[in-house]
Amino acid sequence: MTERTAPIRVLIAKPGLDGHDRGAKVLARGLRDEGFEVIYTGIRRTTEAIIAAAIEEDVDVVGCSILSGAHATLLPKVVAGLREAGAADVLVVAGGIIPEEDRVGLEAAGISAIFGPGSTIAEIAMYLRANVRRP
Amino acid sequence: MSDAPSPRGAALRSARELAQAISSVERGGAGADALIQEALAQLATATGPAARVIGVTGPPGAGKSTLVGALADRAREEGRRVAILAVDPSSAVSGGALLGDRVRVEERPDDDGRFMRSIATRGSGRSLSHAAAAASLLIEAAGFDLLFIETVGAGQADLGIVRLADLVLLVEGPEGGDEVQAMKAGLLESADLVVVNKGDRPGADRAVERLRSGLALGADAPEVLLTSATEGSGVTELLRALDAAALRRGRGGRVRRVAAHLAAAVEARAAERLRAAEADGRLEALARGITDGLRPLSGAVDELLQG
Repeated sequence: MTERTAPIRVLIAKPGLDGHDRGAKVLARGLRDEGFEVIYTGIRRTTEAIIAAAIEEDVDVVGCSILSGAHATLLPKVVAGLREAGAADVLVVAGGIIPEEDRVGLEAAGISAIFGPGSTIAEIAMYLRANVRRP
Repeated sequence: MSDAPSPRGAALRSARELAQAISSVERGGAGADALIQEALAQLATATGPAARVIGVTGPPGAGKSTLVGALADRAREEGRRVAILAVDPSSAVSGGALLGDRVRVEERPDDDGRFMRSIATRGSGRSLSHAAAAASLLIEAAGFDLLFIETVGAGQADLGIVRLADLVLLVEGPEGGDEVQAMKAGLLESADLVVVNKGDRPGADRAVERLRSGLALGADAPEVLLTSATEGSGVTELLRALDAAALRRGRGGRVRRVAAHLAAAVEARAAERLRAAEADGRLEALARGITDGLRPLSGAVDELLQG
């Protein structure tokens, strides 16, 4: 396979009920400036809607921003739904406020990376470029 | 993969197949050509009318996405299979893009009679992606009979959508039709139907009047309608008017979309050749030769296009 020329596509989603999307918007804008194609879905999306959007948009990465504390149930559902759709090669990452003790469980459930409040856009972009699973 | 997928899983898998095919035509190349040919072969044996492709354009903030979402909902109620292709510009600097049209469209994850895809313009340098025509053929072959293609109208003679769509709907906000009109002359002239959206806002009625009187000066003036996508008013009437206008025109169909695809491919090829000639200095060398009288101007363009 030759070197990838098409931009990496990222879905930025906000599952759950919290309406704080500033972080998600900053990330969406920042990744655009890093050369990614960012599909932003808006707030309060169900996991089913996020999975369907990820499939239709044929993204390489789903990034879920969560501040509501519901990550433990929502994120594994996204991973499971993508697998059911035959899209296990889509990278699922999370951002927001996720307690340290929950990380191991989320990683076991297939969440590839968790970016806390101190993460920079450059750091996230570098991680995604190095880890997308599709050529 | 081992266990049988649920009905939901099966629907997602077929959406995935279409989504990946669209990505492939976005990348271009031999794989893309094969997919388009395959779609055309499949459509050649299909019975029933060709899909209807409606271009939706207009200035940012006029409420195009919300209106398209409302039109899609209404068409679904009539049992039509509906797809939306939302095109947004790529950054010329980073090559990235922020595709935000899904924010304005209600997600209906359980409905496999709908499909929505956001695409960036990538290298086209225009308001339409080079891949839009090819994507429209793939979407049609996947069994969708109504496709909305939404683009930001760049004004001027940026009429790629006119080439591709069976019908062009121009969406204006309640302040439309004024100074904007001069700027958007290109699009207004080629719109088959004009709608003033956000009809619940003050001034919308006057915008309709302005547009009607402005358009009445030309022959074959398009109809001007009023909608409020957020309140749902006028949407049924608009869908009916679009269907009627499509029947009146009777143009379009697959040949039009294949022609649009070829035209886009020619533009892409030319742009690619130009970039290459800029990058390796041939453009400048040619220009220097012409400037110094060492070679004729005529033939220079052909030379650049041949690469």
